[in-house]
Amino acid sequence: MNLQKPGLTLYGLFIVMAFLATAALLLGVAVSSILVVLLIYAALAYSINFITGMIGYVDFGHVLFMAIGSYALATLVSYYGANPLLGVGAGAVLGLVFALGIGLVILRFRGVYFAIATVVLVLAAYNIVLQLPQLGTGGEIIFNRPLQPLAPYFTIWTVVMIEIILTYYVNRSRIGFGIRAIKSEEDAASSVGVSPQRLKLIGYMLGGLFGGAAGGVYSWSTSGVTAGPAFDFTFSLLMLAMIIIGGVGTSIGPLLGAVVVYIPSYFLLTSVAQAQPLIIGLLVIIMALFLPDGIVGLLRRSNERLRLVLE
Amino acid sequence: MVAVELIVRDLAFGLMLGCVFSVVAHGLNIIWGVVKVVNIAHGEFIMLGAYGAYFLNLFAGMTPLETAPVDAIIGLLVGYAFYYAFLHRELHNKEMITLQSEMVTLAATFGLSLFISNLAIILFTGNPVGIIYNPGILQFGYLTVPLAALYVAILSVLIIAGTWLFLERTFIGSAIRAYAQDVTATELVGADPAKVASLATALGFAVTMAGGALLTVWVPVGINPLMGGLYAPISFVIVVLGGPGKMWGSLVGGLTLGIVIDLVQAFATAQVAYATAFLILIPVLVFRPKGILK
Amino acid sequence: MPLLQARNVSKNFGGVQALKDVSLDLPESAVLGLIGPNGSGKSTLLNIIAGVEKPTSGIVKLDSKRIDNLRTNRIIRYGLAKTHQIPKPFSNMTARENVAVAVLYGRRNIHSPRPALEEADKILSMVRMGSRKDAPADSLTVQEKKRLELARAIATGASILLLDEVFAGLSPEELKDSIQLFKKLHDELHFSVLVVEHVMRAVLNISHKVMVLEEGRVIATGSPDEIVHDEKVIQAYLGSKNPAA
Repeated sequence: MNLQKPGLTLYGLFIVMAFLATAALLLGVAVSSILVVLLIYAALAYSINFITGMIGYVDFGHVLFMAIGSYALATLVSYYGANPLLGVGAGAVLGLVFALGIGLVILRFRGVYFAIATVVLVLAAYNIVLQLPQLGTGGEIIFNRPLQPLAPYFTIWTVVMIEIILTYYVNRSRIGFGIRAIKSEEDAASSVGVSPQRLKLIGYMLGGLFGGAAGGVYSWSTSGVTAGPAFDFTFSLLMLAMIIIGGVGTSIGPLLGAVVVYIPSYFLLTSVAQAQPLIIGLLVIIMALFLPDGIVGLLRRSNERLRLVLE
Repeated sequence: MVAVELIVRDLAFGLMLGCVFSVVAHGLNIIWGVVKVVNIAHGEFIMLGAYGAYFLNLFAGMTPLETAPVDAIIGLLVGYAFYYAFLHRELHNKEMITLQSEMVTLAATFGLSLFISNLAIILFTGNPVGIIYNPGILQFGYLTVPLAALYVAILSVLIIAGTWLFLERTFIGSAIRAYAQDVTATELVGADPAKVASLATALGFAVTMAGGALLTVWVPVGINPLMGGLYAPISFVIVVLGGPGKMWGSLVGGLTLGIVIDLVQAFATAQVAYATAFLILIPVLVFRPKGILK
Repeated sequence: MPLLQARNVSKNFGGVQALKDVSLDLPESAVLGLIGPNGSGKSTLLNIIAGVEKPTSGIVKLDSKRIDNLRTNRIIRYGLAKTHQIPKPFSNMTARENVAVAVLYGRRNIHSPRPALEEADKILSMVRMGSRKDAPADSLTVQEKKRLELARAIATGASILLLDEVFAGLSPEELKDSIQLFKKLHDELHFSVLVVEHVMRAVLNISHKVMVLEEGRVIATGSPDEIVHDEKVIQAYLGSKNPAA
């Protein structure tokens, strides 16, 4: 990979992350327990960005990896008293492995068929988990940890940092060219030497890896997992919404989308629970129809200087 | 009951259930086959059809059989609205759906799906409701067939046959079939592509909502805002099994799924039955991307 | 030793026999024209050689190595590239980025974006599209898109080019231009070419040898002059439903 001098975008993202880190350190529990959700959302957004934003394969079932991570951490911590960090690692590894196995089969399906296959897998997985006593037959798996909100916070902070750097450099590297070619015309990409099978699988596995890690931190911060919420398609909607709003495939998009989606939902927490998916759903419809390249896309189109700077 | 009798009973019920599944998936098939768009919110319109049947039963005492035509008319209007809101711009000047616009409609209809289902939770509350409709039974020896299930199955098949006749025997129908094969060809036949596409979409929604009404017979206590989450994937699997755009494919796929679910449920739980039904999709896509019907 | 060899290639599409027992040789630096009425199997043959389709029977060898069982992107590594009959540019990129993808993933061993983009600029100049290098690919004209296809194929470092109707749909001026450009490129880069065409003027002008297909079979091979006067060829075109332009 060619490590050219990083642009303003990366510095900008670092500044935002530094801000988030210092805010937590200085302001402690109150702030970090709120911001941890923002970072989890961002981690999820970056993870779906690899397969859906960059490669263009719409993964409605991405919540599957989040669920895998959640269950991995919850079972390890609850049944074996393991260190949650191990749980997060396990979530990441399992996410990667499942993505490999699943990806080898379903990544050959194009467009809609891929999307539907991912939905079907989530439903099948959900129904299977409901049967398994080892996974609580769908009931709660909870654990009690001493209140230590900074640990999950900085874990997910690290995950997001890694994702940001990876996303940024992939976009600028040879792989980025290959991925954009696949997204545009997969067959033509093969005809100039790109291996779509390999790149798609890499993207999907990265999505599984980071989705699993985020899921692990999620169940860490909620002290447990239950099947219904773990496999909830609302998460998939959230992830899609974040990258569509921010700007699919970009480095800034997922973080920007997470901020846009999270801030209002925090304030809506007190009102009707259904309002969140309602508004997100509406936002997705509007963005998809009128602004498919998101906020970053809009800014880049509006100003030549911004086009060069925003990635 | 002896094993053979159990199997016969399961087959009979599976077939009747399958007929309803078929009509529920048929609307998706029409839209997918003609306009080449997959409506992720399909399940939500089934749900609305079911609720339509529920309310008409509650306030006007109408049976699902009577509600189906009403729902169909509502579906026509909703379908036109859907076309002009979501599809007209994307399809207006393009002959082929590129991946980019495919992603757009997938995302938009996904958003619509969650929007409608959550709106329904707010409006109808999450409590499941049902319709009581029991016109009696038919006894064939050891086999007890509820008339409700039978009527609904027959009506489902009639609807599918009716749409087939419409597409094969009328001028508008042939314009729709032309559009499905080649959009520019439609203009050669003397029809306006936008009108054809909007009509096909409207027809698809009409069938979907009517299907939702007929479905209520099989979910006597299960009409709820989230039921789309079950029947949408079932519909997708059915359409893929039968082949998108193949009108009788809905019936083939629906009957297959109905029998599979009913048979598996005889030995295992409902969850396993549904998981099996969903997972059928994967091997089908791997081995026969065009569906079972050649 | 011919660079590219096809031996007894047949292709059956579920009942339709598209190719029957076709063999060909393509020596180094040679230009072999492939003509025939519509439906004669020309594009199918090209697709099989390029790895887009697999032959039902028969083999294709490049430098004595079998390539008919390889995927398209693998075949690129052996130096064989094909253009698309209907141009497929990467519409989310500029012209130079389009070509850069080919440079990065071909067999040039250039793995960094910046040198790849510079190389892309050079190639675009070679095909006389230098002025359009920053244009978004979907804003290019048809002729420019076809040039882009050619540029991409060259950029992969291919020594064998398979050109699928690159001269179609051009005005007489554009056609003259393109023929001249082709000859210049061939003189400079010495690639071997298998060119499928309907535009007679182009193919007879640039080919060393011409092969004629009809209904999946080879009915004649020879120099352009011989082919033009060949009875069987004339019959094939007059007798078919869609005579060539």
